[in-house]
Amino acid sequence: MAQKTTDAAAVLPPGRQPRLDALRLRLLPQLTARAFPIILVTALVGMFLRIATTSGGEIAGEQLKNGLQIGAIYALIALGYTMVYGIIELINFAHGDVFTLSAFYAILFGQLFGFFGLNVTTLAPSSAGGLIACLLLLFPITMLAAGITGVLIERVAYRRLRQSPRLAPLITAVGVSFLLEGVMFAKFGAANYPARKDGWVHGTAFTAGGVPVRWNDVLVLSTALGLMFALQAFVRGSRLGKAMRATAQDRDAALLSGININRTIAATFFIGSALAGAGALVYSIYYNSVQWNLGFRYGIIAFTAAVLGGIGNIVGAGLGGFLIGVISVFGSQLLGGEWENSIVFAMLIIVLTFRPVGLLGMRVPDRA
Amino acid sequence: MLETPVSPIPADSVDLPATAGQTREVESSAIFWLLAVGGLLLVAMGWFLPWFVEPTANGIGFSPQDVVSSSPTGVGTVLVYVMGAAMLALLAGLVVDAVAVYGHRGRALRYEGARAVLALTGVVCTLAIWVLIGLSHEEPLFGALSASAQTDNAVWMTLTGFAICAFAYGLRPWIIRHTSVSLAGVAFIVGGLVPYIFNQSSDFISWAAGSLAIYTLLGLGLNVVVGFAGLLDLGYAAFFAIGAYTAGSLFGSRHGVHEIPFWVIIFLGAAVAALFGAILGAPTLRLRGDYLAIVTLGFGEIIPDAANNNLFSQTGGPNGISGIDRPGFGHFDFGTDYRYYFWALLILISLVIICMRNLERSRLGRAWVAIREDEVAASATGINTVSGKLLAFAIGASVSGFAGAFYGAELGIVTPEDFRFAVSVTALTIVVLGGIGNITGVAVGAMIVTFLIFWVLPHMTEWSTTVGHTTGITQLSTVPYEQYSFVVYGVMLILIMLLRPAGLLPSRARKVELQTGMESESLAAVRGTV
Repeated sequence: MAQKTTDAAAVLPPGRQPRLDALRLRLLPQLTARAFPIILVTALVGMFLRIATTSGGEIAGEQLKNGLQIGAIYALIALGYTMVYGIIELINFAHGDVFTLSAFYAILFGQLFGFFGLNVTTLAPSSAGGLIACLLLLFPITMLAAGITGVLIERVAYRRLRQSPRLAPLITAVGVSFLLEGVMFAKFGAANYPARKDGWVHGTAFTAGGVPVRWNDVLVLSTALGLMFALQAFVRGSRLGKAMRATAQDRDAALLSGININRTIAATFFIGSALAGAGALVYSIYYNSVQWNLGFRYGIIAFTAAVLGGIGNIVGAGLGGFLIGVISVFGSQLLGGEWENSIVFAMLIIVLTFRPVGLLGMRVPDRA
Repeated sequence: MLETPVSPIPADSVDLPATAGQTREVESSAIFWLLAVGGLLLVAMGWFLPWFVEPTANGIGFSPQDVVSSSPTGVGTVLVYVMGAAMLALLAGLVVDAVAVYGHRGRALRYEGARAVLALTGVVCTLAIWVLIGLSHEEPLFGALSASAQTDNAVWMTLTGFAICAFAYGLRPWIIRHTSVSLAGVAFIVGGLVPYIFNQSSDFISWAAGSLAIYTLLGLGLNVVVGFAGLLDLGYAAFFAIGAYTAGSLFGSRHGVHEIPFWVIIFLGAAVAALFGAILGAPTLRLRGDYLAIVTLGFGEIIPDAANNNLFSQTGGPNGISGIDRPGFGHFDFGTDYRYYFWALLILISLVIICMRNLERSRLGRAWVAIREDEVAASATGINTVSGKLLAFAIGASVSGFAGAFYGAELGIVTPEDFRFAVSVTALTIVVLGGIGNITGVAVGAMIVTFLIFWVLPHMTEWSTTVGHTTGITQLSTVPYEQYSFVVYGVMLILIMLLRPAGLLPSRARKVELQTGMESESLAAVRGTV
């Protein structure tokens, strides 16, 4: 790795108007940095109130719940982006498609164990015990399959290019993404692939403030929160987590202190993909269908979440996921569902323009 | 007359003093092989196509035997014999060359004069046969050449292929000395003849005008952004869409301004696209390379979404804008005859290439190189990096808008689905495959990629059904080949990056850097944006 210690301030071109430069370079970013969370929260509250006044408080509450639920899935995907970016500074384009592929894994395994109503004889998911048994089986298997997919992708497409220019792995990442999408398209077809199931998962668990919360909402939120805390504990506490943090900080120094870089990076890919696999499993339970090109949209939205939270920052990815979920749901309630993608992408451009380090910023994207 | 203190050093060698000669030779040799193999391929296609397509059609394809047997004493027979002899002699010379190169690890070129004479003989014979066929189709001169579609195509293919081969083999030293001129000349002449070579296959001409030419333009434009300035743009289709929708809304049935000539509208489309490029670029160009990629990706999705959602009720929603006027000159209308679009695009592409080459060597082009290599250093030497990058973005976008406006007029309809992510990836694959930053490479990459994706894949079903019928393997006819286009893109992108990251025809600067052990250009390109 080449040394990149150039100090931006030291080599800036001499400004003709020093005061304006100072304003542009120091004051304005500080101002936007301070104001950004405030503006964001104000906008969210404003949107909530607007929905509450136009469509009623219960709709607003329902949408808030929907936003948090979809945000939990975004957060689970965003963790993979943020971990991989944190450790090798690569935008893993294929990550969204790993998510989609894992949803297919989940459906196929579920069919195997009779979860999705196609072969209900072996285990009965309509009872609570059967459901928990199914989930206990499905979560590890899906996450393992997803993790292995991620590690394979890293091994085949990224490892050889680790020392090459940044453009090279980015282009292979786009290639892997297309390859996975093409394979899924050829294998499962263009239509929605159904994961039909019935039972009490869609039934109401409890009602909070007039908003019915269903069991699958509980499942999605608890999965996301549980895995996020587990991940945080793992990265903070375990030996491998420490190795990951060291590799992310300085790969050469980590190598010198005896850390197996290849294994650490592979482990990062494994964990990131496994989290996407968990997200895919709860997704397939929640929405009952998967489409081959789902990963493109979910991938970009989750990446936006990671950027919003501060890329490389695990807590930030979780926070960003929930925020983007709520923003997209509120936005599509106000402007119409067909604008949902545009809202998220506009959000991405806004964040990168005004607050590129994200809310809980860790890395500075434009350290030129 | 005053004495003129002109430096005798050509511009090329000023660039790269150390290994320029060697690099040139390698590159020129690659281009020679490109011409030679391409020509041979055309000859082979022409020779075997009739045999493949119509194995039972009374045995008449275009082969020397057919001409000879149909009029054993005609002028055509004599010409065919002369042509064949010249071709054989040239091939023999090539084999001798290859053996000598293999043996001595050097380039053997002897009997240059004799070869040039042979080549000229071949070309003259070919042209004579062309003219004679044109003058006297199905005349006794050549006997009863079948007028069927395939045979006609085959005749043109064989003759063109032979002319290219003869040119390449016979004038190899000249080609190596005048690479660009010869390649451009051959490409332009052969390109202009394509509608004749394939005059019976309207499919092929619509492919050439609709896919090949349009994507060549897109590749050339994207090359400015990715290759020259080193900025990864994954939403390039957005500018394509903007150009197409500009032309569509100004020229379409909804509220068309039919008085403005088409040739003004395409520049308008380019200008609007450039404006959007600058608008998108202004806030985001401070970002590092991969962030820029994501932002452009997002932009590339917003634009077709906005068109799909009928923004301001101007874009027609999912049905798009239809009834776009066809271009033309005065009362002459191109209509749906793709040959005219193809020729117009050929001229446009030539003009764009000339502009690009000049741009590459201009003050701005050098500034781009500096920005690409090291942005901080470039900024320290007084280059305005922001305006440089903005200009790269705007110029790239304008070429795309140009292509988009033409595309809209060519199809007569624009719909949001024509501008999705796959278009951006196709353009990126073209640039990466051909060689990032190399104009010739982009043209070659466009040929390969569009041929594979838009010609081979759609026809695979048909072909494999034929093969399945002959071989009795019926499963072959049920394979849904078109579903695999994404797989083809993916595998191509991965393999190129892993095996030949500089592309098929690496740009000259990169070659020098690799040879002298410096950082590769892409490395610098990316480090430059770090």
